[in-house]
Amino acid sequence: MKKIIICFLFLVVGAGLAIFIYGCAESKMIAEKSGSQLWGENCIRCHNIPSSLEYSSAEWEVIGMHMKLRANLTDDETNKIVTFLKSEN
Amino acid sequence: MGIQKFLFAVPFLFIFSKSYGQDTIQTEKNIELLSAVSGNTKMLLTGVAWFGFLYHINNTDKTTPKTTFNDFGFSPMFLWKLSDKFFFESEIEIQNDGTSDNSAAFDLEYAKLSFRLNKYMTIGAGKMLSPFGAYNERWEPNHIEKFPNAPLRPDDGVLPDDTHLFWGSVMGVDVRGGVPLGSAKMNYSLYISNGPKLHLEKEMGGMLQYENWNDNNSNKEVGGRIGFLPFPNSSLEFGFSGKYGIAGNQGDSLYNKIGATAYAVDFSYVKSIDAIRSIINIRGQFNSVTVGKANYQLTDSTTYTFDNAMQSYFAQFSIRPGMAGNKYLKKTEFLLRYSDVTPPKDAVWSPKDTNGQGGSIKRIDIGLCYWVTWSTGLRITYEISTMPDGAHPKELVVRFATGF
Repeated sequence: MKKIIICFLFLVVGAGLAIFIYGCAESKMIAEKSGSQLWGENCIRCHNIPSSLEYSSAEWEVIGMHMKLRANLTDDETNKIVTFLKSEN
Repeated sequence: MGIQKFLFAVPFLFIFSKSYGQDTIQTEKNIELLSAVSGNTKMLLTGVAWFGFLYHINNTDKTTPKTTFNDFGFSPMFLWKLSDKFFFESEIEIQNDGTSDNSAAFDLEYAKLSFRLNKYMTIGAGKMLSPFGAYNERWEPNHIEKFPNAPLRPDDGVLPDDTHLFWGSVMGVDVRGGVPLGSAKMNYSLYISNGPKLHLEKEMGGMLQYENWNDNNSNKEVGGRIGFLPFPNSSLEFGFSGKYGIAGNQGDSLYNKIGATAYAVDFSYVKSIDAIRSIINIRGQFNSVTVGKANYQLTDSTTYTFDNAMQSYFAQFSIRPGMAGNKYLKKTEFLLRYSDVTPPKDAVWSPKDTNGQGGSIKRIDIGLCYWVTWSTGLRITYEISTMPDGAHPKELVVRFATGF
């Protein structure tokens, strides 16, 4: 029974998620955020902010994918942050 | 003469710049093409190494040492971007296993292959860090954890066999992603895994082991975490986690319906305050695990039952004067943490007071971290624990951890 309840809850959340995905776009303010701003806001949620020179451009691409999965960053956030870090290299 | 030389050079400069520009455009096109095909891999070897020291300040037992360099370890992490859609990540942990034979524990923390389905969803499979709460996936790595140790938890130092441990690794499949919600955003991780295993051995009856690589039953645990970041600057996050699975052995008529339900609430808040030239960070997590009612062996001929539920939580505050003028002060982070574990009070394996009654274990950590780089730092904490029997062990814990 508990399993059914948990599955039901996740289904509800999943349905809500689907609605969000197709119904809620990011606001203009969020869409206009730069890679450097997103880098400063998101990294510090868990750890200190590394210098952009800490890794090469190719390594930042790998780290970007790792952090997208670990911190569940959005696609746009990840792309902007990685592009910014590569441009600083 | 000078003008003639200049006029002579101009056509060559023009041809060179044109061909260089075309080369650059062609190179960009090639990179774009290559990134879409498999085989264009990028790999990064990163990780953390650490060593530490422990001082039992008020240890009155004359048979055990008061001080020891007990903490060492090395965790290489392999990150491999196979293409824009495939990603593999793995971590191996080699550390002191804490036993008297001085051996090192060697463990595959995780090995997970992920595939990006679309911009909102990635599917992954393998041995993965449990997406239950925030601590396990995000704050636990030794180069990220600000303290020299983890918050109080049901591990070997507090309860036997890591029972009811709510974090660690699981074997299974997950889907995850981040979704913008106007000026806010949310993220999710939903998974299915082998689930927990119930211990039935005498003196261990009712213990729960989540690290269950070779499943003990056909039932699979379902669970996940939903995170909400209500502010546009992502400074605040709330996470809600839940999971449920059958823990009893397959075919065991007495225990094959005994399940375990767990939930957790986590939060984190980061704020830069110019007035005090500092960054503050508040984070915490509450966890609750409940196992279905069952009888367990007490002696060879008698059984007993108990309310098999465990709660634990921690809350921590840190402040780093990162904008201060003093070059030493700006690298120092001051830390305060309170944590609590309440095991099932009537279980034979839970710690008891002098009257044989179970109770909570509490701990306060007061410490600091001196950051040499963003991931390298010297962590020191003074911790005072309170055991159910009223004992107050006090320890000084030091760890130097370096991310690489």
